[in-house]
Amino acid sequence: MEIIAGIFLIAGLFLLFVAAIGILRLPDFYSRLHASGLSETLGMVLCFIGLIIYEGFTFTSVKLLIIALFFFLANPIGTHVISRAAYRSGLKPWTRKGD
Amino acid sequence: MMKNNLAMTKNVKGSETKQFIVLSAVLFLLWVLLSGKMEAKLLGMGLAASLFSAWITMSLLRIPSVDRKSVYVAFDFPYVKYIVYWFWLFKEIVKANIDIAKVVLNPKLPINPQIVTFRRPMDNPLAHVTLANSITLTPGTVTVDVEGDLYVIHALTDGAAEGLEGGEGEMMKRVCALFNEEAPKGEEAKENHG
Repeated sequence: MEIIAGIFLIAGLFLLFVAAIGILRLPDFYSRLHASGLSETLGMVLCFIGLIIYEGFTFTSVKLLIIALFFFLANPIGTHVISRAAYRSGLKPWTRKGD
Repeated sequence: MMKNNLAMTKNVKGSETKQFIVLSAVLFLLWVLLSGKMEAKLLGMGLAASLFSAWITMSLLRIPSVDRKSVYVAFDFPYVKYIVYWFWLFKEIVKANIDIAKVVLNPKLPINPQIVTFRRPMDNPLAHVTLANSITLTPGTVTVDVEGDLYVIHALTDGAAEGLEGGEGEMMKRVCALFNEEAPKGEEAKENHG
């Protein structure tokens, strides 16, 4: 069980790492939002699955599940609010053609 | 009590009794799960608190429709279909995650950021929330703005932009079916500001 949990955690941490690389590599604010999307969806979920497997079926794992669900509902709202603020204040997205 | 009068004059879609029962049950379940204690006194307090919360939020959970002609009850939607939709969405999120991870790790960085706009007329604001949230949750696409039925979406790659199919993708169809919305009639505006 601990080994399976470890595999999930490592997969999740790998995605978080990729997201960090993406934030550094991508050219502008909007495209960086996509990179952070990696960490906040699958990366986070894989970490939580790992923790739930490690914990077994207890109240703690149910609480972890509730946290994961809350993440899924609340996260896109945050991303949307940030990107809309940028869009409405007139930040132009970076494009290949304009380069 | 403006909101109450508003609800009286317009037609209310959905059952408030059903919402009250479901909301109280969900809140009580959450209470039990978070407290983890089974003493009668604590359970009674939890039940009272969840009933009170469900009652006091009733007027807040009447959401005016997009055309302002009717009012929707927020927590009355097909629950089982909604959960099935989330499972399907999760599968899509996993696929999109792998795609974007590949793009980020590719030394050539094959991105083509673009703004995609489309119209998706739906009456129920909850359908708009679900669709916009789903688009943002799928890596590669972020909902930048929703004004009425006009979606402004930032897509990272050509593949992600094509996946939206100008508002005619599978995700939009599924959300429409979920909330029993009619399919839009022509006049879709698909513009790519490359």
